[in-house]
Amino acid sequence: MLPTLNRRRFLLRAGFFSAQFTLLTSTALTLAGAAARAEDLGQTSATFTTLNATEAAGLLAIAARILPEDDAGPGAVSGGVIYFIDRVLGSSRQEWLGLLREGLLELDAQAVSRYGSTRFSTLDSAQQDALLRAIEDTEFFVTLRTLTMAGMFALPEYGGNHHHAGYTLIGFGHQHAWQPPFGHYDADYMARGE
Amino acid sequence: MADAAMPRYSTRVPVDFVVIGSGAAGGIVAKELSSAGLSVVVLEQGPYLKAQDFTHDEWAYNHNEELVWGRRKGHPQTFRRSADEKARVVDGAVLSYAHNVGGSSVHFSGNFWRLRPIDFHEASEVGLIPGTTLADWPLSYEELEPYYTRVDWEIGVSGLAGPWDPPRSRGYPCKPMPVKSSGVLLERGAKALGWTAYPAPVAILSEAHNGRPPCIHCGFCNGFGCEINAKSSSMATMIPLALASGHCELRTGCTAARIETDENGRVTEVAYWEADGTLQAQRAKAVVLCANGAETPRLLFLSESARMPDGLANSSGMVGQNLMFNGSSRVVGLFEHEVNAHKSIATTRVVHDFYTIDRKHGFYGGGGIDERSISAGRPLQAALGGSIFGSSHWGSEFKRNLALEFTHTASFNGHCTSLPLASNNVTLDPDVKDTWGRPALRTTFMNHPDDFATMKFFMERSVEMMEAVGALKIDSSYNQTGQTGGVHLLGTCRMGNDPASSVVDRFNRSHDVENLFIVDGSSMVTSGRGQPTMTIMALAFRAADHIIAAARRGDI
Repeated sequence: MLPTLNRRRFLLRAGFFSAQFTLLTSTALTLAGAAARAEDLGQTSATFTTLNATEAAGLLAIAARILPEDDAGPGAVSGGVIYFIDRVLGSSRQEWLGLLREGLLELDAQAVSRYGSTRFSTLDSAQQDALLRAIEDTEFFVTLRTLTMAGMFALPEYGGNHHHAGYTLIGFGHQHAWQPPFGHYDADYMARGE
Repeated sequence: MADAAMPRYSTRVPVDFVVIGSGAAGGIVAKELSSAGLSVVVLEQGPYLKAQDFTHDEWAYNHNEELVWGRRKGHPQTFRRSADEKARVVDGAVLSYAHNVGGSSVHFSGNFWRLRPIDFHEASEVGLIPGTTLADWPLSYEELEPYYTRVDWEIGVSGLAGPWDPPRSRGYPCKPMPVKSSGVLLERGAKALGWTAYPAPVAILSEAHNGRPPCIHCGFCNGFGCEINAKSSSMATMIPLALASGHCELRTGCTAARIETDENGRVTEVAYWEADGTLQAQRAKAVVLCANGAETPRLLFLSESARMPDGLANSSGMVGQNLMFNGSSRVVGLFEHEVNAHKSIATTRVVHDFYTIDRKHGFYGGGGIDERSISAGRPLQAALGGSIFGSSHWGSEFKRNLALEFTHTASFNGHCTSLPLASNNVTLDPDVKDTWGRPALRTTFMNHPDDFATMKFFMERSVEMMEAVGALKIDSSYNQTGQTGGVHLLGTCRMGNDPASSVVDRFNRSHDVENLFIVDGSSMVTSGRGQPTMTIMALAFRAADHIIAAARRGDI
């Protein structure tokens, strides 16, 4: 089970950094990559309705560490989870937008103070993982993890799960009906006449 | 409404019956009464969703409360452990049920265990259990058996009769569902230990029955409405017959506000809100309350009057009391080959060797063990739950573990007794209101020590089966801090022969109000072993028989 949410702990630290922090607005590489891929795949246009480009890049950079692209299968970038996240933060999950914005500012501030970088999204993946590991019990991280999973595994109609990337990842066959055998053991059971 | 035969009754002319709720019990009562020629108005607060409306949409159903309403839909609920605590609003629902025609029979797993003879006379059998309100039912298994058989055939149940079954007067109408890999593992584990895993009886069709098609094993079953009507919900089986009778009007989006009574204490009409907030009232000669073990007591409390200040039909003080959920345990095993427990229905095998645990263990309880997917077959739920055997819930290692666990695990789940306690109940929250301005449902609940011992017992037997069948890794758990809600909402208007200690009589008629009947999970005196809907439906058929007979002899 996941740890208990602890928003307060994270926001207290966020307050410490956010006053002297300035947002940069250029588009991050991860976002450009996702947009290009989405266009390549003929998916929804890479525009955001709730997040600005910097916020989208920042959240996607975190999502891409929660579900990285690797040899185990598709990750958050190819799953297009940021489009799901953008959509629900403007509709059914508006109450989470402030939390995510504040948390992102905090994380970027930590990237500056710990690594002398400009933003979280420009750190290398080992640095990103180290920062995320330190905040994985916070409400910010748990909320973004929830949205990342939802963007990966909810129906593609919600904007994520591009080309059923989530289903591909976990070996979930996308089809409407099945017939036995469903797995190895019932096939074996039938073969043996048990 | 496309149903041509559906009448339109005037709200000002009393109909024979208003039925409040169209779920497992309400659907049957509506069909039985209307088919007998009695005029019926059914009030259902949710929409009339049919097979073509259902999708494989986890986000909608499990996160946006499209079937089970909670805080997001304007229906907050509160929870506390004991009467000296202040209850707090929870996310989602504490007392969880689906808000649609057919109620929770639409999205349930369809596990259709009958109760067994022991369930009806446990109190006499085991004697006093300190701290509990355990009591015998005012009826026996033998009296209910014909109605279980009616459920089998009229609702549609798949299974295999055998020595594992309680006594039955007729076989199942449909053959058992095909066994899943998880079922094979349970069966082999049980066999190695000298126990029996038999085909789980389910309200899901394995073959065509009553004009409905067999299951296509899509996997989006528990938590979802069936897209082909193979699941034997009230919506798929009873409501169409009720509407075809020409004597039943189904009013959806209509939320009962209050049951009105006259100076003689008789029910006269039911006030309700239409979807747009318009307040209406339907006059009726009698009311059958089938709103479930949570909403039934709330409506009775809200229907208080000068004559009945503690709530309608509550002279016993038992309305809302003795809340039970059924206990549970979960043991997950990782296997070498693909299990794919997410396919097809929730469960295909069940072990009932411990229906009643030997009391030499020092506690009272019983139950069964069946096999499940780790996430009710749902991809998103599996991902949100985190890795079972890995150490991280994100990153590359998590991805690999999730993919392996989704396809290569089986879960052996215990389902067991929940003892009735005077301290567990549903009441009205003094502060929190819902979208209609009604006091929110407030749940006060803490398990009896024997409930914990029973859950632990079933966890341990499940571990033994996992070991016996060669699981590579095993993760075992049960709720050690106490349940915080449930989907089985039982006991809150218990039936009994004594008006001083029960709310309804043995035929589901209110002891206090002669033209008020209450039929749903609230009637159950004990919790059974974990799958109550079959019994709720059997009680509904039985109550309907007696209501019709009483109506015909002018005794309502």
